[in-house]
Amino acid sequence: MRRPSWRVEPSPAVGGEATARALAYVPDDGRFALYNDYAAGVSVLTLTAPSPDEGGPAALWRADTDRTRPHALAPATEVDGYGIFTFPYGPISMGVPEAGRFDVRTYGERVLNLVPVGGFKSRRIRETVVGRPVADAALLVERMAGNFSASHVAAFLEAAESASATEVPTAERWVRGLAQELQRIYNHVHVIARVAEAASQNVGLAQTHALAEEVLRVQGAFFGHRWLFGALLPGGPARRLDAADRHRLAERLGHLAEEFERLWLLFLESRTFIDRIQGTCPVSRAEAVGGGAVGPTLRASGVAWDDRLRIPVAPYNDLFVPLPHETGGDALARLIIRAEEVRASFLILEQMLDRWATASTGAEPAGSPVAPGRGIGRVEAPSGDLVYDVRVTAGKVDALQLRTPSRANWTVFAAGMRDAVFTDFHFAFESFGFVFAETDG
Amino acid sequence: MPSWIQQSASRGILTSRYPKDAAADEEVSPTGRPPLPVAGVASLPAARDSCPVGAISDTAVDQGKCIRCARCVAAGLTFTGPVEAATRSRDDLLRISSGPVPSPAAPPPLARLGRSLHLFLVDVGSCNACNLEVLALANPYYDVQRLGLFFTNSPRHADVLLVVGVPTPEMAEPLRRAYEALPGPKAVVAVGACPISGGAFAGAPGLVPGLAEIVPVDVFVPGCPPSPTAILDAILKLNGRDRAARGGP
Ligand code: SF4
Ligand code: SF4
Repeated sequence: MRRPSWRVEPSPAVGGEATARALAYVPDDGRFALYNDYAAGVSVLTLTAPSPDEGGPAALWRADTDRTRPHALAPATEVDGYGIFTFPYGPISMGVPEAGRFDVRTYGERVLNLVPVGGFKSRRIRETVVGRPVADAALLVERMAGNFSASHVAAFLEAAESASATEVPTAERWVRGLAQELQRIYNHVHVIARVAEAASQNVGLAQTHALAEEVLRVQGAFFGHRWLFGALLPGGPARRLDAADRHRLAERLGHLAEEFERLWLLFLESRTFIDRIQGTCPVSRAEAVGGGAVGPTLRASGVAWDDRLRIPVAPYNDLFVPLPHETGGDALARLIIRAEEVRASFLILEQMLDRWATASTGAEPAGSPVAPGRGIGRVEAPSGDLVYDVRVTAGKVDALQLRTPSRANWTVFAAGMRDAVFTDFHFAFESFGFVFAETDG
Repeated sequence: MPSWIQQSASRGILTSRYPKDAAADEEVSPTGRPPLPVAGVASLPAARDSCPVGAISDTAVDQGKCIRCARCVAAGLTFTGPVEAATRSRDDLLRISSGPVPSPAAPPPLARLGRSLHLFLVDVGSCNACNLEVLALANPYYDVQRLGLFFTNSPRHADVLLVVGVPTPEMAEPLRRAYEALPGPKAVVAVGACPISGGAFAGAPGLVPGLAEIVPVDVFVPGCPPSPTAILDAILKLNGRDRAARGGP
């Protein structure tokens, strides 16, 4: 059993050990704060966040932000001069197929400053779940980001189970892991397809796009829903995967894994493709850590951190989980990480399906509540560390707060775009795997 | 050395023959079809309370509200409705049975544009799954270019707005402007439960509970999200080239 390397502390870390660490995140209502010290290998979550008066940085302090109105997702730097203007890109554009905006300060060609603007598609999920039974709230949680649904539901359920200190059947965690790894493969392949599209790598795009479709079809066939909605909820079809299903699933995944290998090698051999993304939107290790980056973005900038290895629960505590990391920090490095993680996820799935019958039995304790009726759930979503903070009373959700990987990565994206040419925008943007839906919630 | 050309040749033809032939099962997951009561309408009152979004009444399943959550399966509904579930009127979403959906007497709104249609995707507050299902129409499995359908980069070059998501107050005005930018003749497709009824978010404070309050809607595609095949059928209903119009069973 691996040692946990993250923990929860009840009070603000101001004046304590954690002030030396980078304050990585404070969510909108300031109900928790996250400190990461990757050099020491720890991540600390405090239950009450420090306000700016107490030493919390103003830029991250969003307690008074109205998420339902347009608001900046990264700090702007003042740039002024002759011929400099702000070009608003969005909220409707085909280049970014979600509702969101980018305010670009430019004099025409170079990006002097870029501010992502969210708040156009808030569906008020945090507010609407309040008062609903956990299983009903989960219907909204899985729609926080349709393409990360398994991660959102897993983190939410872990938090809710921990809030009420209920036992979790090991099989539940295995099914959550299975769904999350499948969805990770879909998302990484999808990101590679989007970057190929930006690079007009048309045959590569078609083949990669086809592979993404095949993953959706596998999800549809084995979980009843192409986006896994409902699959992890009570009565969901995934709980009924029998030995024959698992055998067929392993076979289909084997073909997809081979297909992916062939495609990825062709991408690596394509000079035009590699040239286009090499050096694009660089994020240094210091910027990644200081800006609170997570997931493939963080791992592409030299930090080997993955929640699957840090949080010792089933199924990951029982499996070999590869941890690829790169030091380039550019779009190429982020793509290489994603490709390596596709391979890793296929390997994890193979191990899971091999050992399902014996390993996925029994029950395990939920994480202990961090306060009476309050629990934290943390998983490695396709784009990075996802944190749910949930309060539950008598089976109903009292309050819900979360920090999504998309929210965490906007700052370093904006910084990486400074001084870039505007034609780099799409390669850069796609390489992070952002979802505006989860940012706005 | 293997090449992209060899690679794509080795995959063979992936593209569906839809709408010439019916959609194959693997193109549509179980929840890609509307739920219907196995034992007929008489069994609906008993199933009513199983639905978290109030889609089941005593007399019908409102497919425009259904989020395909499968909770009613235990109460006797199954996902056996037609893949081609898009309708040209909101009311017809309550009348879907196992047969083809009712086809209206009025001619298809974009019939005079002929075969080719230009499409523009607008997100007004989605979970992103509907966006991705619309974009999936371009992948080799659906390859909608073969049917004369093209995605454009600007509403100014589009005939059709494909709207995904539940309209937030912040997106009502940008949507209206995008609609006005279409040169016309033009049409709007409401893709998924969100723009039809609010879907899973119905009743959330401040959201607009239906796209039709902002722009006129020509075709409604139920689903959460609808499958690419269902979206394709909806688009083809605009120019009368859908499977039902071709006389397909
Ligand atoms: S699938 Fe879910 S939303 Fe649709 S009718 Fe059944 S219970 Fe209601
Ligand atoms: S209809 Fe369903 S899948 Fe589509 S955007 Fe709404 S919640 Fe997401």
